[in-house]
Amino acid sequence: MQSKNKAVALTRRQFVAAGVLGGAALAVGCKSGNQGNWDFLSDGQARTLAAICDQIVPADEFPSASQAGVLTYIDRQLFRHYRRHRDVYREGLEHANELSRKRFAKDLAEATPAQQLEIVSALEKEERPFFDLVRRHTMEGYYGSPRHGGNRDAVSWRMLGLDEPPVRGRAQYDMRKGATS
Amino acid sequence: MKRFLKIAAIAIVAVGLLALGGSYGASYYYTSQLGQGCAGCHEMGGYVSAVHGSLHQKVGCMECHEASMGTKLRHMRVHFLGTPPETIRLRDKDVLAMASNCRKCHQHEYANWHAGPHSATYSQIFADSTHNSKRRMMEDCFRCHGMHFDGSVRDLVQPQNLQGPWHLIRSDLADQPTMPCQTCHQVHKEGTPQAKPATRISVAGTAGNDSLALFDRREKIHFAAASLAIPHLLEGARPVKMNQDARQAICYQCHAPRGSEAGSVAAANHWGPQVGSGDDRTPIGVHEGLSCVSCHFGHNENARASCKTCHPQMSHCGLDVEKMDTTYASASSQHNIHWVKCADCHQHGVPKMKAVAPAKAQVVPTTPGMDG
Ligand code: HEC
Ligand code: HEC
Ligand code: HEC
Ligand code: HEC
Ligand code: HEC
Ligand code: HEC
Ligand code: HEC
Ligand code: HEC
Repeated sequence: MQSKNKAVALTRRQFVAAGVLGGAALAVGCKSGNQGNWDFLSDGQARTLAAICDQIVPADEFPSASQAGVLTYIDRQLFRHYRRHRDVYREGLEHANELSRKRFAKDLAEATPAQQLEIVSALEKEERPFFDLVRRHTMEGYYGSPRHGGNRDAVSWRMLGLDEPPVRGRAQYDMRKGATS
Repeated sequence: MKRFLKIAAIAIVAVGLLALGGSYGASYYYTSQLGQGCAGCHEMGGYVSAVHGSLHQKVGCMECHEASMGTKLRHMRVHFLGTPPETIRLRDKDVLAMASNCRKCHQHEYANWHAGPHSATYSQIFADSTHNSKRRMMEDCFRCHGMHFDGSVRDLVQPQNLQGPWHLIRSDLADQPTMPCQTCHQVHKEGTPQAKPATRISVAGTAGNDSLALFDRREKIHFAAASLAIPHLLEGARPVKMNQDARQAICYQCHAPRGSEAGSVAAANHWGPQVGSGDDRTPIGVHEGLSCVSCHFGHNENARASCKTCHPQMSHCGLDVEKMDTTYASASSQHNIHWVKCADCHQHGVPKMKAVAPAKAQVVPTTPGMDG
């Protein structure tokens, strides 16, 4: 923190206040963000979360949750509107990995799909609040608007038979004849 | 109070110093090798890795993006003092400034695009008196024209009536293109490498150019060409054979058919969207089943040179197709090149094929196999 030396003469409270108003906020802002590919998640957490989400929505002829950008959705929301869920995620993901290491001696992301399913089923029973949250957010990300990072290329809407964006010609009505169509 | 002032003063100086130092520091960040500097801000992480996963991986951020001192300060303000927007978006002027940067490396594509219809400017599209005296201005225009414009149609053109005369409020856009490179190309893929599927997301259509994607005004994101719909069109009650080339899906978003007019035969019979309705040019007749891009290749969308790629090999009439009576040879021809059928010219029945016409047999070039 650059301003620290200049601030020695101040009381601790004053220093903190100045810091919050000024430069310190900058430094803190940067550290809490992360240097990986995600806003909130670490790369490791992202891999674990992907494994869980992909058991909730696995790939068939349509993409899985993580392929459709659900992680991008959840990550963006944890950085913004869903800040309040951060702890549940942090602990839940940690727990999921522990469980996997205990049973299979490897991280959840490295486990086989069958093993992952076993862990996710265990989470559903043992970590209900975390599991419910992830399931809800996965659904939001998969079926919500693509602008929030999930539902990439509107894939789930196409799965439901909706063309997005639709093919729709421009209005051809001639105003001089009076609006008919 | 005094203490508060002291704190405030320190805060102000701190911010000032940081802004000054930061903006010079930022210059280093922005220009450093292949965006590692930009990646230093986590907001940019996804964009950096997206570029690195693309064919532009060897291109530095600043080859495409401008970052004036103003931009850098703006980024720093958001980075340090605010929550970055959920999705970082370019402003309309950034998009336009960038199109000329694409030119540096893609001179050929740029020149063709510039010479062709898709470089139509804001004044050509939004201040066209023939058009505007017939069709009222609306937000829907932005679906196909000027999709990168920031604002509503009222912020772009006035007056909003059928009388005119019309002028652009944003006069700086008059000579700027309504469909720049970014309309059909996406440089940064959505998401990050981890989130990128190993297999292609789309299950429809053939694999196309990876960057080919339409910028969707409403969602403010690109939709990959391979994910866009190719409509099912009909000629009367007959389903038309539609080419599934993913590239042409992008053409259909703008050169689009329309639902049948109320009172038409098609509407009365519930036939569904008709070939040739609206701005549709889906080929039927001799060229049914071809993709737009089979003839309109290159960014000028000129189809003049395309005939030779298939003719005379695929010809039936033994004539030079370029000289035959279609709109290719003359714009006033009755035979639109997209829709002409054998029977349009051969109204009394299509003649027997050359191969079975003995008199002509000698002029048919003999194949090596036939020579022995
Ligand atoms: C080949 C040109 C090119 C390069 C290189 C490039 N960009 Fe971009 N950038 C674009 C274009 C075009 C857009 C507009 C959206 C799109 O096409 O994805 C864009 C958009 C963005 C956006 C806004 C997001 C959006 O969807 O509008 C950010 C942030 C960004 N770029 C950051 C970077 C960073 C950081 C780098 C360096 C790692 C970089 N860009 C390198 C062309 C480029
Ligand atoms: C500094 C040079 C440079 C700049 C600037 C640049 N490109 Fe490229 N572009 C390249 C190179 C190199 C390739 C790879 C060519 C290849 O592999 O054939 C490429 C490939 C492409 C491709 C085809 C490959 C793909 O991704 O599907 C498209 C489309 C493209 N660029 C669009 C753009 C657009 C749009 C811009 C401006 C926003 C731009 N480029 C700016 C150098 C550049
Ligand atoms: C569904 C996409 C779409 C929408 C919406 C749309 N246009 Fe167009 N526009 C086109 C296409 C495609 C062409 C080229 C038609 C051709 O040459 O076959 C065109 C051509 C034009 C032209 C050139 C002259 C002409 O009429 O062919 C003008 C001017 C124009 N549009 C203005 C507008 C305005 C203003 C609006 C809003 C009222 C609008 N367009 C809405 C797709 C669209
Ligand atoms: C109306 C849509 C449209 C616009 C606007 C557009 N392109 Fe393209 N571009 C295409 C299509 C379609 C293709 C694919 C052609 C193919 O693969 O046959 C393409 C392909 C390309 C390629 C790859 C060429 C290759 O050989 O694979 C480059 C590079 C490119 N475009 C650059 C640009 C640049 C630069 C601009 C702006 C000056 C631009 N495009 C504007 C539709 C567009
Ligand atoms: C974003 C909308 C958009 C897309 C996508 C688009 N076009 Fe166009 N196209 C237009 C508009 C608008 C015009 C008319 C411009 C004008 O008249 O000023 C036009 C004009 C043309 C013309 C010339 C029309 C004339 O009257 O001479 C051809 C040919 C054409 N487009 C072919 C294509 C093909 C092929 C594709 C797909 C690769 C395509 N377009 C994709 C909007 C689009
Ligand atoms: C068999 C080759 C061929 C195919 C396939 C083709 N076009 Fe064309 N198109 C042409 C030619 C040649 C012209 C030049 C004018 C003419 O001859 O009518 C043209 C002209 C146009 C024009 C200018 C307006 C007009 O009708 O003169 C538009 C717009 C257009 N094409 C769009 C498309 C779209 C969109 C598709 C795909 C749905 C497509 N074309 C498929 C050959 C083709
Ligand atoms: C991608 C291939 C392809 C391209 C490009 C193409 N054609 Fe054709 N064309 C065909 C095929 C195939 C037939 C025969 C259709 C059939 O057997 O029913 C045909 C038939 C015709 C016919 C009917 C007469 C005959 O000799 O069979 C005319 C006229 C014609 N084309 C004109 C053109 C013109 C003009 C162009 C250039 C704008 C063009 N075509 C470009 C594939 C093509
Ligand atoms: C644009 C008009 C046009 C179209 C479309 C057209 N033809 Fe022809 N065709 C001609 C003309 C002109 C001749 C030469 C005079 C004649 O024999 O009637 C000809 C001649 C022929 C001949 C006799 C060739 C010979 O060597 O004597 C055959 C066979 C033929 N056409 C088949 C077809 C078939 C099959 C199609 C559709 C795939 C087709 N034509 C579409 C105009 C056309």
